[in-house]
Amino acid sequence: MLISELESSLGIGMEVAQGDYSDRELSTGYASDLLSDVMANAKADGVLVTVQAHKNAVAVASLVGLAAIVVCNSRPLPDDMISSARAEGVAVFRTPATAFEVSGRLWAGLRRP
Amino acid sequence: MRALADLHNHSCLSPCASLEESPSLLARLARERGLGFVALTDHNSALNCPAFDEACRREGLAPLFGIEACSVEEVHVLCIFGRVEPALDFGLRLRSALIPLPYDPEKLGDQVVVDADEEVLELVDFYLGAALILGFDEICAEAAERGALVIPAHVDRPMFSVSSQLGFLPPGPYDAVESMREPAPELRGGHTAISGSDAHYPEHVARRPFAVELPDGASELRGDSLLEALRASLRAGLVRPSWGGQA
Repeated sequence: MLISELESSLGIGMEVAQGDYSDRELSTGYASDLLSDVMANAKADGVLVTVQAHKNAVAVASLVGLAAIVVCNSRPLPDDMISSARAEGVAVFRTPATAFEVSGRLWAGLRRP
Repeated sequence: MRALADLHNHSCLSPCASLEESPSLLARLARERGLGFVALTDHNSALNCPAFDEACRREGLAPLFGIEACSVEEVHVLCIFGRVEPALDFGLRLRSALIPLPYDPEKLGDQVVVDADEEVLELVDFYLGAALILGFDEICAEAAERGALVIPAHVDRPMFSVSSQLGFLPPGPYDAVESMREPAPELRGGHTAISGSDAHYPEHVARRPFAVELPDGASELRGDSLLEALRASLRAGLVRPSWGGQA
């Protein structure tokens, strides 16, 4: 699945909050709300599913080399989060769905045959 | 007597702080900007406290020696001592509980231990910005038992705070809570609220101090007697925070 396919392929309401990124294949996903856990365990080119909507989430994403962040539960996205995501080329999506729901759908979409 | 205090300041030991921000520059700027009582509170470590002690002696400033600990829930809490040794001891204790994360100084910033003359003594090679495997309650209880002032940091911030990570302020042995703005009653939990600069860069020093009323002669106090005088004033609410500064 490409980053650009996230929006449509999940079949849930997904808003592109930061669309300035170079499109590429997503490797895997990681769901967590603890940034130290994300730093330790998330994989490069993956997508992070979280409720942490602030610029530190972007900093951790760029550190790990994550391709995208999906912010769940319609959490408000601060301007400085979006601007730092743009600067780092990290895609940011927002959805009213829960992390459970997003992860379930991503699992199906990202699973290799 | 009334003095300006600031209990939340980082030095070049904190990976996210400016390399320029040596303990001696912090002490000098604090004095120039009118602070009387200043704590150094690096992330999960007190290794720059000896230099800060010496630097404050040179500036005629009353130092306090702290650590901003990061709990397993990623809540930050200030643990502040009157003397260097118990701060270093607590730092050693936390060292054994730090979650090992990959540390790349290029990406995360250097962690520099210096002396009061800004000579580099050591580059810490494990990441100090990580969380500890200790719960927020555990850290607060242990710091209080060791005699520290225990102050949950920036309780109203959208990250690394009791409000963002726990959703509420659990009961605890707090001497005060630090807040960016006047906190909601449930985040204050009946405790005194103070402001704090959370200085990571020279320009942050003294941006959000608080005024504190202390017994006459307190400016001469050092060490544990200073800590206890401050604790009494905090607990009695004899403070005037500076809210509304830059967040």
